[in-house]
Amino acid sequence: MAKHFQTLRHDVWLPYKFAVGPTFKRFYEGLKEKKILGNQCPKCGKILVPARTFCPTCYVDMGEWIEVSQEGEVVSWTLANYEFVGRPVDPPFIGALVRLEGTDCNFLHLIGGFDLSNKDTVRSKIKPGTRVKAVWSDEKTGHLLDIKYFEPV
Amino acid sequence: MGRPVAIIGSGQTKHGSRFDVTYPDLVREAVRAVFEDTGITADDIDGVVSGTMPSMMEGVALTHFYFADAMCSVGKPILKTETCGSTGVSAALTGYYWVASGMADVILVVGSEKMHEGDSQATMTTVAEPFYQRFFISGAPGVFSMQSQMWMARYGIPEDKLRDAAAKVSVDHHRDALDNPYAHIKKAVTMDEVKNAKVITYPCRLWDICPNSDGACAVVFACEEKAKKICQKPAWIKGVGYRGDEYWFGDSDKVVWQGAIEAAREAYGAAGISNPLKELDVAEVYNPFTFQELLYYENFGFCDFGQACDYTLKGTFARGGELPCDPSGGTLCTNPIGATGLIRVAEAAMQVTGKAGDHQIEGAKLALAHAMGGVDQFNGIMILGSEL
Amino acid sequence: MSNKVAIVEVAQLPGSESSDNYLDQVYWVCREVFDKAGISRDEVGTVVSASSDVFHSGMSCANAYYWDSGAAFLKNGSRQDGESLFAFIYGVMRILTGPYDTALVLGVCKGSENPENDMITHFYTDPFYQRQIGLNETFAAALQMRAYMERFNITEEQCAKVVVKNRENALRNPYAHLRKKVDLEDVMNSERIMDPLKKLECAPKSEGIIALLLASEQKARRLTDKPVWCKGFSSSMDAFILGDRDLLDGQLKNAAKRAYDMAGITNPSKEIDVAEVTEPYAFQELLWYEGLGFCDTGEGGKLLDSGATQIDGDIPVNPSGGVLAMNPYVSRGLYRLVEVALQIKGEAGERQVEKEVKTGLAHGTHGFAGQCHAVAILGS
Repeated sequence: MAKHFQTLRHDVWLPYKFAVGPTFKRFYEGLKEKKILGNQCPKCGKILVPARTFCPTCYVDMGEWIEVSQEGEVVSWTLANYEFVGRPVDPPFIGALVRLEGTDCNFLHLIGGFDLSNKDTVRSKIKPGTRVKAVWSDEKTGHLLDIKYFEPV
Repeated sequence: MGRPVAIIGSGQTKHGSRFDVTYPDLVREAVRAVFEDTGITADDIDGVVSGTMPSMMEGVALTHFYFADAMCSVGKPILKTETCGSTGVSAALTGYYWVASGMADVILVVGSEKMHEGDSQATMTTVAEPFYQRFFISGAPGVFSMQSQMWMARYGIPEDKLRDAAAKVSVDHHRDALDNPYAHIKKAVTMDEVKNAKVITYPCRLWDICPNSDGACAVVFACEEKAKKICQKPAWIKGVGYRGDEYWFGDSDKVVWQGAIEAAREAYGAAGISNPLKELDVAEVYNPFTFQELLYYENFGFCDFGQACDYTLKGTFARGGELPCDPSGGTLCTNPIGATGLIRVAEAAMQVTGKAGDHQIEGAKLALAHAMGGVDQFNGIMILGSEL
Repeated sequence: MSNKVAIVEVAQLPGSESSDNYLDQVYWVCREVFDKAGISRDEVGTVVSASSDVFHSGMSCANAYYWDSGAAFLKNGSRQDGESLFAFIYGVMRILTGPYDTALVLGVCKGSENPENDMITHFYTDPFYQRQIGLNETFAAALQMRAYMERFNITEEQCAKVVVKNRENALRNPYAHLRKKVDLEDVMNSERIMDPLKKLECAPKSEGIIALLLASEQKARRLTDKPVWCKGFSSSMDAFILGDRDLLDGQLKNAAKRAYDMAGITNPSKEIDVAEVTEPYAFQELLWYEGLGFCDTGEGGKLLDSGATQIDGDIPVNPSGGVLAMNPYVSRGLYRLVEVALQIKGEAGERQVEKEVKTGLAHGTHGFAGQCHAVAILGS
């Protein structure tokens, strides 16, 4: 039963074209202008970023668009040391959830701007409540990595 | 059969090419439509069933995560049903069993697909395993063409009669779709246009085949007590049936198609139907291919084997006939795979509750909804009626 | 929920990589379950399987491929995606509805034939926001782990001790994939792939093909002397965007509460005799203790330290070795369930816990940082 017979190698390649829709498009355009755009639910008043089409809690269309603060507090972070498919940049890098000032959800992005090679150095730089501020890439293409990372202030 | 269950409302998106919205927003369009139709809100829902075709279709895996907010499932129990093309009916069956078993009173079922975001043919090719069959299947149309050729040969159906019957089906449904505000393809075609269209896989030509559509559908199932409280005219589930054949295309006869026959038999048995042609008022048959629709008429007992072409040419299954089939235009005019089977269920429910608008079949009380999945592998059926 | 549906027989394959053909393996487990129960395939009422296309060897319509191998030819069957406990739950519903007195529940995931889990779970992301930052389950879990440690002073050692416990338990489980002891130092020194998460704190990728036969009350009593009754179940879903969630206050407690209510359980830490939880990242076992009500919020580390969740403790958790020793992603929920069933039947061999087992809990989770949880309660 356990005899080895044969292994069939088979790679699957599939192309995709996603519809971006007006909400995310506007968010991406904002990035090109060095703006981080969120919007506000007209019912519960929560400000969500990146901008959404609808409020997940109230299930109504989001209302006013707001340029949110580019500064905030680190909610959680992780130092990535391995290469995985889909990685935003080569390791080492820091993935993080940041609560941007004045918003009601956490923003998933990267933290950087200092030496990441030593985990103890990193841990000394980022503690609970560390404030960070967006640093922009030189080239902007309407992609979340137009923000290069958030740097501790 | 468990306690009585009804469909208290449904919602659909405008199906077609929906590059104007992202996938979750498309799902939300259908969910909002069903909330509007039923007057209920997310708080009234006890659980959610989600159904889509293979994850690889849209490049997002396990889409029940992606849609969690869009289908109001946050904080609620969820089931994720997937059975290829028959997903829509399988998801409806899941909603039905969930309520019939007494484990919930009100269940939201959502089926969706956004085919234009992927390469559907390339994705579908991955249904066939790479060991034996993948390189020979020639995509979905190839399979159904083979099926039609077998049927023709078995019953000695003259090729031009078959061609005329299939063309009539195409002409009728494309006209029907003009009366369906949600349908994707809205273009009337003539017999000549259908018979002379480009060959895709002989004998299937362009107008014999369904489109790729983006679309979503949402249906709410409720127990008797809730249904009677919330809804003026519930559509009662009278019977359900489902069968799957072997995976290997070539193992089972797909002409006298045991799986389809038994799925229908299971549903008819529960619904107490012995003469479907007479007792059913309308049938929403899964019809991505005109030729296959004809074959279903026979397998579901609407007529004897070998007879479908004659009955079709007489008009039996057209809108004015004895048993109108697919007055919505069917899958032939609208095919967002994960939603299609559920759309058949929604359309059947609309028919027996008088909500089908311009494509309403007068006085419809008993309707059949059907979906097929895989490479001619699965058949699922739900019978809906206006009386408990 | 009174004794209306029972697990009658179970069969499972081990987790180490096998060169057997997937379809053959599915056939063997189903065959074994039928032979043990003494019924023929014809007699089985319905089949509900669990599999995910993306964990399915690059083929779409997973259920189509193993349909006949999975005993479902010309049967009314269905398939659940993502979480195999969904298949159990759906199977129970089908029997409760009435037309079927038996249901085959099947879990299928051949880990060695799929890409790495991180690659697959990366594709849970929306293409627009989270995918651009490279989110996958390991990345999300790492964020959750740091938040957990910081909020409640959970130590890295406490998290690592989960690995030590479970890998030790796995030595007694012939079906487990990883059957080698690790000690605390090994775990603490393992590579910090997504700091604070370490390599040995992350579950492997295993084979997992498993089947169980459910039956209605009457039928169950005819087929076995030791029916294991379904007492309660539920599942619960969290929001999709990671940033919208409180990663430490998720949906497990809702799923657990609904399951406990159905089972009439009011004091889980006393009334649950054994628990099999899904802990693909070691620290999550501690967090799940809290969600399941085995201890108060923030006390997961303390519970572990007390020894209560060891195999000879008051509330043994993962006597099988859990997911850290054996991770067939999709079917791991059913592996948890089957382990609990075996404990209740007294058939868990060397890994049978010391105390008498009357009531057990099986838990499954999938999605970023446990976006979705499912809980099932079984009883004698």
